[in-house]
Amino acid sequence: MAAYPGMSMGEAHRRITEYLNRFSDAVSNQDAASLRFLLSLSSNSPFLLSLADALNIFQDSGRLIKHSDHYSQYSDILFNLFRSLQTYRLGNLFDSYQAFEKSANAFIQEFRNWESAWALEALYALAYEIRVLAERADRDLASNGKSPEKLKAAGSFLMKVFGVLAGKGPKRVGALYVTCQLFKVYFKLGTVHLCRSVIRSIETARIFDFEEFPKRDKVTYMYYTGRLEVFNENFPAADNKLSYALTHCNPRREANIRMILKYLIPVKLSIGILPKDWLLEKYNLVEYRDVVQALRRGDLRLLRRALQEHEDRFLRSGVFLVLEKLELQVYQRLVKKIYIIQKQKDPTKAHQVKLEVIVKALKWLEMDMDVDEVECIMSILIYKNLVKGYFAHKSKVVVLSKQDPFPKLNGKPVNS
Amino acid sequence: MEKDAKVATEDPKVDLFEDDDEFEEFEINEEWEDKEEGKDTTQQWEDDWDDDDVNDDFSLHLKKELESNTEKS
Repeated sequence: MAAYPGMSMGEAHRRITEYLNRFSDAVSNQDAASLRFLLSLSSNSPFLLSLADALNIFQDSGRLIKHSDHYSQYSDILFNLFRSLQTYRLGNLFDSYQAFEKSANAFIQEFRNWESAWALEALYALAYEIRVLAERADRDLASNGKSPEKLKAAGSFLMKVFGVLAGKGPKRVGALYVTCQLFKVYFKLGTVHLCRSVIRSIETARIFDFEEFPKRDKVTYMYYTGRLEVFNENFPAADNKLSYALTHCNPRREANIRMILKYLIPVKLSIGILPKDWLLEKYNLVEYRDVVQALRRGDLRLLRRALQEHEDRFLRSGVFLVLEKLELQVYQRLVKKIYIIQKQKDPTKAHQVKLEVIVKALKWLEMDMDVDEVECIMSILIYKNLVKGYFAHKSKVVVLSKQDPFPKLNGKPVNS
Repeated sequence: MEKDAKVATEDPKVDLFEDDDEFEEFEINEEWEDKEEGKDTTQQWEDDWDDDDVNDDFSLHLKKELESNTEKS
Protein backbone atom coordinates (compact mmCIF):
# COMPACT_ATOMS: atom_id res chain seq x y z
CA MET A 1 0.00 0.00 0.00
CA ALA A 2 2.85 2.42 0.69
CA ALA A 3 4.13 4.72 -2.00
CA TYR A 4 6.99 3.50 -4.14
CA PRO A 5 10.11 4.16 -2.21
CA GLY A 6 12.52 6.15 -4.18
CA MET A 7 10.20 8.06 -6.44
CA SER A 8 11.73 11.50 -6.53
CA MET A 9 9.75 14.68 -6.22
CA GLY A 10 10.67 15.50 -9.81
CA GLU A 11 9.46 12.14 -11.04
CA ALA A 12 6.22 12.59 -9.10
CA HIS A 13 5.75 16.00 -10.65
CA ARG A 14 6.38 14.57 -14.12
CA ARG A 15 3.79 11.83 -13.69
CA ILE A 16 1.13 14.21 -12.49
CA THR A 17 1.74 16.58 -15.37
CA GLU A 18 1.62 13.69 -17.79
CA TYR A 19 -1.79 12.69 -16.47
CA LEU A 20 -3.08 16.24 -16.68
CA ASN A 21 -1.89 16.54 -20.25
CA ARG A 22 -3.42 13.27 -21.25
CA PHE A 23 -6.69 14.34 -19.67
CA SER A 24 -6.89 17.67 -21.43
CA ASP A 25 -5.79 16.10 -24.72
CA ALA A 26 -8.51 13.47 -24.43
CA VAL A 27 -11.14 16.13 -23.84
CA SER A 28 -9.97 18.45 -26.59
CA ASN A 29 -9.62 15.58 -29.08
CA GLN A 30 -12.91 14.09 -27.93
CA ASP A 31 -11.08 10.84 -27.39
CA ALA A 32 -13.53 8.95 -25.20
CA ALA A 33 -11.52 5.73 -25.00
CA SER A 34 -8.51 7.55 -23.51
CA LEU A 35 -10.71 9.47 -21.17
CA ARG A 36 -12.34 6.27 -20.02
CA PHE A 37 -8.94 4.81 -19.25
CA LEU A 38 -8.01 7.89 -17.21
CA LEU A 39 -11.17 7.61 -15.11
CA SER A 40 -11.08 3.86 -14.52
CA LEU A 41 -9.86 3.83 -10.95
CA SER A 42 -10.64 0.20 -10.25
CA SER A 43 -8.72 -1.01 -13.31
CA ASN A 44 -5.62 -0.76 -11.14
CA SER A 45 -3.62 0.08 -14.23
CA PRO A 46 0.09 0.65 -13.51
CA PHE A 47 -0.29 4.13 -14.95
CA LEU A 48 -2.97 5.13 -12.45
CA LEU A 49 -1.30 3.37 -9.54
CA SER A 50 1.96 5.16 -10.10
CA LEU A 51 0.04 8.40 -10.48
CA ALA A 52 -1.54 7.72 -7.11
CA ASP A 53 1.92 7.20 -5.63
CA ALA A 54 3.10 10.40 -7.22
CA LEU A 55 0.16 12.27 -5.75
CA ASN A 56 0.99 10.96 -2.31
CA ILE A 57 4.57 12.23 -2.66
CA PHE A 58 3.84 15.51 -4.35
CA GLN A 59 1.12 16.76 -2.05
CA ASP A 60 0.38 20.02 -3.80
CA SER A 61 -1.13 18.82 -7.04
CA GLY A 62 -4.00 21.26 -6.57
CA ARG A 63 -1.70 24.10 -7.46
CA LEU A 64 -0.63 22.36 -10.66
CA ILE A 65 -4.26 22.13 -11.72
CA LYS A 66 -5.19 25.68 -10.87
CA HIS A 67 -2.17 27.30 -12.41
CA SER A 68 -2.64 25.97 -15.87
CA ASP A 69 -5.10 27.36 -18.36
CA HIS A 70 -5.47 23.88 -19.83
CA TYR A 71 -6.75 22.20 -16.73
CA SER A 72 -8.23 24.87 -14.53
CA GLN A 73 -11.61 24.64 -16.19
CA TYR A 74 -11.75 21.00 -15.12
CA SER A 75 -10.36 21.66 -11.67
CA ASP A 76 -13.41 20.28 -9.84
CA ILE A 77 -13.18 17.05 -11.76
CA LEU A 78 -9.42 16.72 -11.46
CA PHE A 79 -8.90 17.91 -7.92
CA ASN A 80 -11.44 15.47 -6.53
CA LEU A 81 -10.33 12.67 -8.80
CA PHE A 82 -6.78 13.07 -7.53
CA ARG A 83 -7.98 13.01 -3.98
CA SER A 84 -9.99 9.89 -4.71
CA LEU A 85 -6.97 8.18 -6.27
CA GLN A 86 -4.71 9.13 -3.37
CA THR A 87 -7.05 7.78 -0.73
CA TYR A 88 -7.84 4.73 -2.87
CA ARG A 89 -4.15 3.92 -2.96
CA LEU A 90 -3.96 4.26 0.81
CA GLY A 91 -6.89 1.90 1.22
CA ASN A 92 -9.26 4.54 2.52
CA LEU A 93 -12.27 3.65 0.42
CA PHE A 94 -14.75 5.80 2.25
CA ASP A 95 -12.84 9.01 1.47
CA SER A 96 -12.07 7.71 -1.97
CA TYR A 97 -15.77 7.28 -2.66
CA GLN A 98 -16.65 10.72 -1.33
CA ALA A 99 -14.08 12.40 -3.53
CA PHE A 100 -14.98 10.29 -6.55
CA GLU A 101 -18.63 11.27 -6.27
CA LYS A 102 -17.66 14.94 -6.23
CA SER A 103 -15.46 14.46 -9.26
CA ALA A 104 -18.21 12.56 -11.06
CA ASN A 105 -20.72 15.29 -10.28
CA ALA A 106 -18.39 17.87 -11.76
CA PHE A 107 -17.93 15.63 -14.79
CA ILE A 108 -21.63 15.38 -15.51
CA GLN A 109 -21.90 19.16 -15.30
CA GLU A 110 -19.42 19.34 -18.18
CA PHE A 111 -21.00 16.41 -19.96
CA ARG A 112 -24.38 18.11 -19.89
CA ASN A 113 -22.90 21.06 -21.75
CA TRP A 114 -21.30 19.00 -24.48
CA GLU A 115 -23.76 18.84 -27.29
CA SER A 116 -22.67 15.61 -28.85
CA ALA A 117 -22.55 12.25 -27.11
CA TRP A 118 -18.81 11.78 -27.74
CA ALA A 119 -17.98 11.26 -24.07
CA LEU A 120 -20.50 8.48 -23.40
CA GLU A 121 -17.81 5.86 -23.01
CA ALA A 122 -16.14 7.94 -20.33
CA LEU A 123 -19.46 8.42 -18.61
CA TYR A 124 -19.93 4.64 -18.62
CA ALA A 125 -16.64 4.33 -16.77
CA LEU A 126 -17.83 6.80 -14.13
CA ALA A 127 -21.13 4.98 -13.69
CA TYR A 128 -19.38 1.67 -13.27
CA GLU A 129 -16.62 2.99 -11.03
CA ILE A 130 -18.96 4.76 -8.67
CA ARG A 131 -20.95 1.58 -8.15
CA VAL A 132 -18.04 -0.72 -7.42
CA LEU A 133 -16.29 1.89 -5.31
CA ALA A 134 -19.47 2.34 -3.27
CA GLU A 135 -19.70 -1.41 -2.73
CA ARG A 136 -16.16 -1.53 -1.43
CA ALA A 137 -16.66 1.53 0.75
CA ASP A 138 -19.79 -0.08 2.22
CA ARG A 139 -17.93 -3.28 2.95
CA ASP A 140 -15.36 -1.25 4.88
CA LEU A 141 -18.03 0.71 6.71
CA ALA A 142 -19.87 -2.44 7.69
CA SER A 143 -16.73 -4.16 8.95
CA ASN A 144 -16.04 -1.11 11.11
CA GLY A 145 -19.48 -1.39 12.62
CA LYS A 146 -20.82 1.64 10.76
CA SER A 147 -23.90 1.67 8.64
CA PRO A 148 -23.17 1.14 4.96
CA GLU A 149 -24.73 3.94 2.97
CA LYS A 150 -22.56 4.60 -0.05
CA LEU A 151 -24.22 2.19 -2.44
CA LYS A 152 -27.47 3.97 -1.79
CA ALA A 153 -25.72 7.26 -2.53
CA ALA A 154 -24.30 5.78 -5.72
CA GLY A 155 -27.86 4.87 -6.68
CA SER A 156 -28.93 8.49 -6.29
CA PHE A 157 -25.99 9.65 -8.35
CA LEU A 158 -26.78 7.16 -11.10
CA MET A 159 -30.39 8.37 -11.14
CA LYS A 160 -29.01 11.81 -11.79
CA VAL A 161 -26.91 10.48 -14.66
CA PHE A 162 -29.95 8.70 -16.02
CA GLY A 163 -31.79 12.02 -15.99
CA VAL A 164 -29.01 13.61 -18.03
CA LEU A 165 -29.24 10.88 -20.68
CA ALA A 166 -32.87 9.90 -20.80
CA GLY A 167 -34.21 12.88 -22.73
CA LYS A 168 -34.29 13.33 -26.43
CA GLY A 169 -31.15 13.50 -28.45
CA PRO A 170 -27.99 11.54 -29.17
CA LYS A 171 -27.11 10.87 -25.55
CA ARG A 172 -30.14 8.70 -25.01
CA VAL A 173 -28.35 5.66 -26.40
CA GLY A 174 -26.37 5.63 -23.14
CA ALA A 175 -29.41 5.53 -20.88
CA LEU A 176 -29.65 1.74 -20.88
CA TYR A 177 -26.09 1.28 -19.65
CA VAL A 178 -26.84 3.46 -16.65
CA THR A 179 -30.13 1.64 -16.12
CA CYS A 180 -28.25 -1.64 -15.89
CA GLN A 181 -25.85 -0.19 -13.32
CA LEU A 182 -28.89 1.01 -11.36
CA PHE A 183 -30.41 -2.47 -11.49
CA LYS A 184 -27.24 -3.91 -10.03
CA VAL A 185 -27.37 -1.40 -7.20
CA TYR A 186 -31.07 -1.96 -6.47
CA PHE A 187 -30.83 -5.74 -6.60
CA LYS A 188 -27.93 -5.64 -4.20
CA LEU A 189 -29.70 -3.27 -1.83
CA GLY A 190 -32.95 -5.20 -2.04
CA THR A 191 -34.82 -2.12 -3.21
CA VAL A 192 -35.92 -3.44 -6.56
CA HIS A 193 -39.18 -1.53 -6.47
CA LEU A 194 -37.03 1.47 -7.38
CA CYS A 195 -36.43 -0.12 -10.78
CA ARG A 196 -39.98 0.68 -11.73
CA SER A 197 -39.66 4.32 -12.70
CA VAL A 198 -36.55 3.66 -14.79
CA ILE A 199 -38.24 0.76 -16.55
CA ARG A 200 -41.22 2.91 -17.33
CA SER A 201 -39.04 5.59 -18.79
CA ILE A 202 -37.21 3.06 -20.98
CA GLU A 203 -40.26 1.13 -22.12
CA THR A 204 -42.78 3.82 -22.72
CA ALA A 205 -40.57 6.28 -24.56
CA ARG A 206 -41.77 6.66 -28.09
CA ILE A 207 -38.82 8.76 -29.11
CA PHE A 208 -36.38 5.90 -29.00
CA ASP A 209 -36.62 2.34 -30.17
CA PHE A 210 -35.36 -0.22 -27.68
CA GLU A 211 -33.55 -2.11 -30.39
CA GLU A 212 -31.25 0.86 -30.96
CA PHE A 213 -29.53 0.41 -27.61
CA PRO A 214 -26.23 -1.49 -27.58
CA LYS A 215 -26.58 -5.24 -27.43
CA ARG A 216 -24.61 -5.65 -24.19
CA ASP A 217 -27.07 -3.36 -22.42
CA LYS A 218 -30.16 -4.94 -23.96
CA VAL A 219 -29.07 -8.39 -22.78
CA THR A 220 -28.32 -7.14 -19.25
CA TYR A 221 -31.58 -5.22 -19.13
CA MET A 222 -33.63 -8.23 -20.23
CA TYR A 223 -31.90 -10.42 -17.64
CA TYR A 224 -32.82 -8.09 -14.79
CA THR A 225 -36.33 -7.24 -15.92
CA GLY A 226 -36.86 -10.96 -16.54
CA ARG A 227 -35.89 -11.67 -12.95
CA LEU A 228 -38.36 -9.04 -11.79
CA GLU A 229 -41.08 -10.74 -13.78
CA VAL A 230 -40.20 -14.05 -12.11
CA PHE A 231 -40.65 -12.42 -8.70
CA ASN A 232 -43.99 -11.06 -9.87
CA GLU A 233 -44.95 -14.51 -11.16
CA ASN A 234 -45.66 -13.08 -14.56
CA PHE A 235 -44.31 -16.10 -16.37
CA PRO A 236 -45.07 -15.32 -20.01
CA ALA A 237 -43.31 -11.95 -19.68
CA ALA A 238 -40.44 -13.55 -17.77
CA ASP A 239 -40.14 -16.14 -20.53
CA ASN A 240 -39.96 -13.44 -23.20
CA LYS A 241 -37.36 -11.35 -21.46
CA LEU A 242 -35.10 -14.12 -20.26
CA SER A 243 -35.32 -15.89 -23.62
CA TYR A 244 -34.27 -12.67 -25.30
CA ALA A 245 -31.28 -12.44 -22.96
CA LEU A 246 -30.39 -16.07 -23.63
CA THR A 247 -30.56 -15.76 -27.40
CA HIS A 248 -28.56 -12.56 -27.59
CA CYS A 249 -25.99 -13.12 -24.86
CA ASN A 250 -22.40 -13.56 -25.95
CA PRO A 251 -22.09 -17.37 -26.12
CA ARG A 252 -18.62 -17.16 -24.59
CA ARG A 253 -20.04 -15.54 -21.45
CA GLU A 254 -20.90 -18.81 -19.82
CA ALA A 255 -21.36 -17.40 -16.33
CA ASN A 256 -23.98 -15.00 -17.63
CA ILE A 257 -25.73 -17.69 -19.64
CA ARG A 258 -25.83 -19.82 -16.52
CA MET A 259 -27.44 -16.99 -14.57
CA ILE A 260 -30.07 -16.45 -17.26
CA LEU A 261 -30.88 -20.16 -17.26
CA LYS A 262 -31.07 -20.27 -13.50
CA TYR A 263 -34.20 -18.13 -13.77
CA LEU A 264 -35.43 -19.19 -17.18
CA ILE A 265 -35.58 -22.90 -16.33
CA PRO A 266 -38.16 -22.55 -13.51
CA VAL A 267 -40.15 -20.22 -15.77
CA LYS A 268 -40.13 -22.75 -18.61
CA LEU A 269 -41.07 -25.56 -16.22
CA SER A 270 -44.02 -23.58 -14.96
CA ILE A 271 -45.39 -23.34 -18.50
CA GLY A 272 -44.79 -27.02 -19.17
CA ILE A 273 -41.51 -26.86 -21.07
CA LEU A 274 -38.50 -28.92 -19.99
CA PRO A 275 -34.81 -28.14 -20.48
CA LYS A 276 -32.77 -30.76 -22.29
CA ASP A 277 -30.44 -32.66 -20.03
CA TRP A 278 -27.25 -31.41 -21.72
CA LEU A 279 -28.24 -27.85 -20.87
CA LEU A 280 -28.30 -28.65 -17.17
CA GLU A 281 -24.98 -30.50 -17.47
CA LYS A 282 -23.20 -27.88 -19.50
CA TYR A 283 -24.11 -24.98 -17.25
CA ASN A 284 -23.87 -26.94 -14.02
CA LEU A 285 -27.49 -26.47 -13.06
CA VAL A 286 -27.89 -30.00 -11.82
CA GLU A 287 -30.08 -28.85 -8.94
CA TYR A 288 -32.91 -28.80 -11.49
CA ARG A 289 -32.32 -32.33 -12.71
CA ASP A 290 -34.53 -34.09 -10.15
CA VAL A 291 -37.23 -31.46 -10.52
CA VAL A 292 -37.35 -32.19 -14.24
CA GLN A 293 -37.30 -35.92 -13.62
CA ALA A 294 -40.18 -35.55 -11.14
CA LEU A 295 -42.26 -33.79 -13.78
CA ARG A 296 -41.52 -36.42 -16.38
CA ARG A 297 -42.47 -39.26 -14.08
CA GLY A 298 -45.23 -37.75 -12.02
CA ASP A 299 -43.06 -38.47 -9.02
CA LEU A 300 -44.27 -36.31 -6.15
CA ARG A 301 -41.82 -37.81 -3.73
CA LEU A 302 -38.89 -36.88 -5.94
CA LEU A 303 -40.19 -33.32 -6.32
CA ARG A 304 -40.41 -32.89 -2.56
CA ARG A 305 -36.96 -34.33 -2.05
CA ALA A 306 -35.45 -32.12 -4.71
CA LEU A 307 -37.05 -29.02 -3.23
CA GLN A 308 -35.87 -29.97 0.22
CA GLU A 309 -32.36 -30.79 -0.84
CA HIS A 310 -31.82 -27.50 -2.63
CA GLU A 311 -34.13 -25.38 -0.52
CA ASP A 312 -31.47 -22.82 0.45
CA ARG A 313 -30.35 -22.30 -3.09
CA PHE A 314 -33.89 -21.98 -4.45
CA LEU A 315 -34.92 -19.63 -1.66
CA ARG A 316 -31.90 -17.41 -2.21
CA SER A 317 -32.57 -16.97 -5.88
CA GLY A 318 -36.29 -16.53 -5.20
CA VAL A 319 -37.51 -19.39 -7.39
CA PHE A 320 -38.62 -21.69 -4.58
CA LEU A 321 -42.29 -20.69 -4.77
CA VAL A 322 -42.25 -21.07 -8.54
CA LEU A 323 -40.92 -24.60 -8.21
CA GLU A 324 -43.30 -25.47 -5.39
CA LYS A 325 -46.21 -24.73 -7.67
CA LEU A 326 -45.00 -27.39 -10.10
CA GLU A 327 -46.59 -29.86 -7.72
CA LEU A 328 -49.93 -29.56 -9.53
CA GLN A 329 -48.31 -30.49 -12.83
CA VAL A 330 -46.69 -33.50 -11.15
CA TYR A 331 -50.09 -34.58 -9.79
CA GLN A 332 -51.49 -34.24 -13.29
CA ARG A 333 -48.75 -36.43 -14.67
CA LEU A 334 -49.26 -39.07 -11.99
CA VAL A 335 -53.00 -39.29 -12.59
CA LYS A 336 -52.33 -39.49 -16.29
CA LYS A 337 -49.98 -42.41 -15.73
CA ILE A 338 -52.59 -44.17 -13.63
CA TYR A 339 -55.09 -43.57 -16.42
CA ILE A 340 -52.78 -45.01 -19.07
CA ILE A 341 -51.99 -48.04 -16.95
CA GLN A 342 -55.71 -48.65 -16.48
CA LYS A 343 -56.28 -48.20 -20.17
CA GLN A 344 -53.78 -50.92 -21.00
CA LYS A 345 -55.64 -53.25 -18.74
CA ASP A 346 -59.23 -52.39 -19.60
CA PRO A 347 -59.80 -49.59 -22.11
CA THR A 348 -63.52 -49.43 -21.45
CA LYS A 349 -63.21 -48.48 -17.79
CA ALA A 350 -60.03 -46.46 -17.96
CA HIS A 351 -61.70 -43.07 -17.76
CA GLN A 352 -63.08 -43.89 -14.34
CA VAL A 353 -60.36 -43.35 -11.78
CA LYS A 354 -61.15 -44.36 -8.25
CA LEU A 355 -59.90 -41.91 -5.67
CA GLU A 356 -58.76 -44.90 -3.68
CA VAL A 357 -56.38 -45.85 -6.45
CA ILE A 358 -54.81 -42.42 -6.30
CA VAL A 359 -54.58 -42.69 -2.52
CA LYS A 360 -52.72 -45.94 -2.99
CA ALA A 361 -50.31 -44.46 -5.51
CA LEU A 362 -49.63 -41.59 -3.14
CA LYS A 363 -49.04 -43.92 -0.26
CA TRP A 364 -46.46 -45.70 -2.35
CA LEU A 365 -44.84 -42.27 -2.81
CA GLU A 366 -44.84 -41.83 0.96
CA MET A 367 -47.62 -39.28 0.97
CA ASP A 368 -50.31 -40.11 3.44
CA MET A 369 -53.60 -38.69 2.24
CA ASP A 370 -57.11 -39.89 2.71
CA VAL A 371 -59.83 -39.99 0.09
CA ASP A 372 -61.17 -36.57 1.06
CA GLU A 373 -57.81 -34.92 0.66
CA VAL A 374 -57.28 -36.56 -2.69
CA GLU A 375 -60.74 -35.40 -3.76
CA CYS A 376 -59.70 -31.90 -2.84
CA ILE A 377 -56.52 -32.15 -4.94
CA MET A 378 -58.49 -33.55 -7.88
CA SER A 379 -60.99 -30.73 -7.74
CA ILE A 380 -58.12 -28.24 -7.85
CA LEU A 381 -56.71 -30.04 -10.90
CA ILE A 382 -60.13 -29.85 -12.56
CA TYR A 383 -60.56 -26.21 -11.58
CA LYS A 384 -57.14 -25.34 -13.01
CA ASN A 385 -57.92 -27.22 -16.19
CA LEU A 386 -55.12 -29.70 -15.69
CA VAL A 387 -57.71 -32.45 -15.68
CA LYS A 388 -61.00 -32.55 -17.55
CA GLY A 389 -63.69 -34.53 -15.83
CA TYR A 390 -66.18 -34.60 -12.98
CA PHE A 391 -66.78 -36.41 -9.69
CA ALA A 392 -69.16 -39.18 -9.10
CA HIS A 393 -69.38 -38.37 -5.42
CA LYS A 394 -71.12 -41.39 -4.05
CA SER A 395 -68.78 -43.86 -5.64
CA LYS A 396 -65.73 -41.70 -5.01
CA VAL A 397 -64.66 -41.82 -8.62
CA VAL A 398 -63.30 -39.20 -10.98
CA VAL A 399 -64.84 -39.60 -14.38
CA LEU A 400 -62.37 -38.30 -16.93
CA SER A 401 -63.48 -36.60 -20.09
CA LYS A 402 -63.06 -38.85 -23.11
CA GLN A 403 -61.59 -36.01 -25.05
CA ASP A 404 -58.23 -34.63 -23.98
CA PRO A 405 -58.58 -35.52 -20.29
CA PHE A 406 -55.15 -34.05 -19.48
CA PRO A 407 -54.83 -30.75 -21.34
CA LYS A 408 -51.25 -29.66 -22.00
CA LEU A 409 -50.08 -26.24 -20.96
CA ASN A 410 -48.59 -25.51 -24.37
CA GLY A 411 -46.43 -22.70 -23.13
CA LYS A 412 -49.10 -21.07 -21.00
CA PRO A 413 -49.05 -20.90 -17.23
CA VAL A 414 -51.41 -22.93 -15.06
CA ASN A 415 -54.66 -21.01 -14.52
CA SER A 416 -54.59 -19.08 -11.29
CA MET B 1 -53.14 2.30 -13.90
CA GLU B 2 -53.84 -1.37 -14.39
CA LYS B 3 -51.13 -1.60 -16.98
CA ASP B 4 -48.55 0.25 -14.93
CA ALA B 5 -49.06 -2.06 -12.02
CA LYS B 6 -47.95 -4.95 -14.16
CA VAL B 7 -44.44 -3.62 -14.62
CA ALA B 8 -42.44 -5.15 -11.83
CA THR B 9 -44.18 -3.62 -8.87
CA GLU B 10 -43.68 -6.11 -6.08
CA ASP B 11 -40.78 -5.86 -3.77
CA PRO B 12 -39.31 -9.31 -3.44
CA LYS B 13 -37.10 -10.24 -0.55
CA VAL B 14 -33.49 -10.04 -1.53
CA ASP B 15 -30.80 -10.29 1.10
CA LEU B 16 -29.49 -6.89 2.03
CA PHE B 17 -26.26 -6.08 0.23
CA GLU B 18 -26.17 -9.36 -1.55
CA ASP B 19 -27.14 -10.58 -4.92
CA ASP B 20 -25.67 -13.95 -5.78
CA ASP B 21 -26.61 -13.57 -9.39
CA GLU B 22 -25.13 -10.25 -10.39
CA PHE B 23 -24.70 -10.24 -14.14
CA GLU B 24 -21.08 -9.98 -15.25
CA GLU B 25 -20.15 -6.75 -16.98
CA PHE B 26 -19.64 -6.96 -20.70
CA GLU B 27 -16.68 -5.01 -22.03
CA ILE B 28 -17.76 -1.66 -23.40
CA ASN B 29 -16.66 -2.70 -26.88
CA GLU B 30 -17.39 -6.39 -26.62
CA GLU B 31 -18.77 -7.75 -29.85
CA TRP B 32 -20.26 -11.05 -30.79
CA GLU B 33 -22.40 -12.74 -33.38
CA ASP B 34 -26.00 -13.47 -32.58
CA LYS B 35 -26.97 -17.08 -32.62
CA GLU B 36 -29.66 -18.28 -34.97
CA GLU B 37 -32.85 -17.97 -33.03
CA GLY B 38 -35.39 -20.76 -33.63
CA LYS B 39 -32.80 -23.45 -34.17
CA ASP B 40 -31.28 -22.96 -30.77
CA THR B 41 -34.56 -23.19 -28.96
CA THR B 42 -35.40 -26.67 -30.20
CA GLN B 43 -31.98 -27.87 -29.14
CA GLN B 44 -32.38 -26.53 -25.64
CA TRP B 45 -36.02 -27.18 -24.76
CA GLU B 46 -38.57 -29.90 -25.05
CA ASP B 47 -42.28 -29.13 -25.05
CA ASP B 48 -43.59 -32.47 -26.26
CA TRP B 49 -42.41 -34.63 -23.41
CA ASP B 50 -45.80 -35.48 -21.90
CA ASP B 51 -46.15 -38.77 -23.76
CA ASP B 52 -48.17 -41.91 -23.09
CA ASP B 53 -45.17 -44.08 -22.43
CA VAL B 54 -45.45 -46.13 -19.27
CA ASN B 55 -42.51 -48.45 -19.75
CA ASP B 56 -40.05 -46.50 -17.63
CA ASP B 57 -38.99 -47.84 -14.24
CA PHE B 58 -41.20 -45.48 -12.32
CA SER B 59 -44.32 -46.39 -14.27
CA LEU B 60 -43.59 -50.10 -14.02
CA HIS B 61 -43.29 -49.79 -10.27
CA LEU B 62 -46.47 -47.78 -10.12
CA LYS B 63 -48.25 -50.43 -12.14
CA LYS B 64 -47.08 -53.16 -9.82
CA GLU B 65 -48.17 -51.15 -6.83
CA LEU B 66 -51.64 -50.52 -8.22
CA GLU B 67 -52.08 -54.15 -9.11
CA SER B 68 -50.79 -55.43 -5.79
CA ASN B 69 -54.15 -55.68 -4.11
CA THR B 70 -56.67 -54.36 -6.55
CA GLU B 71 -58.35 -57.73 -6.15
CA LYS B 72 -59.63 -56.60 -2.78
CA SER B 73 -61.49 -53.56 -3.99
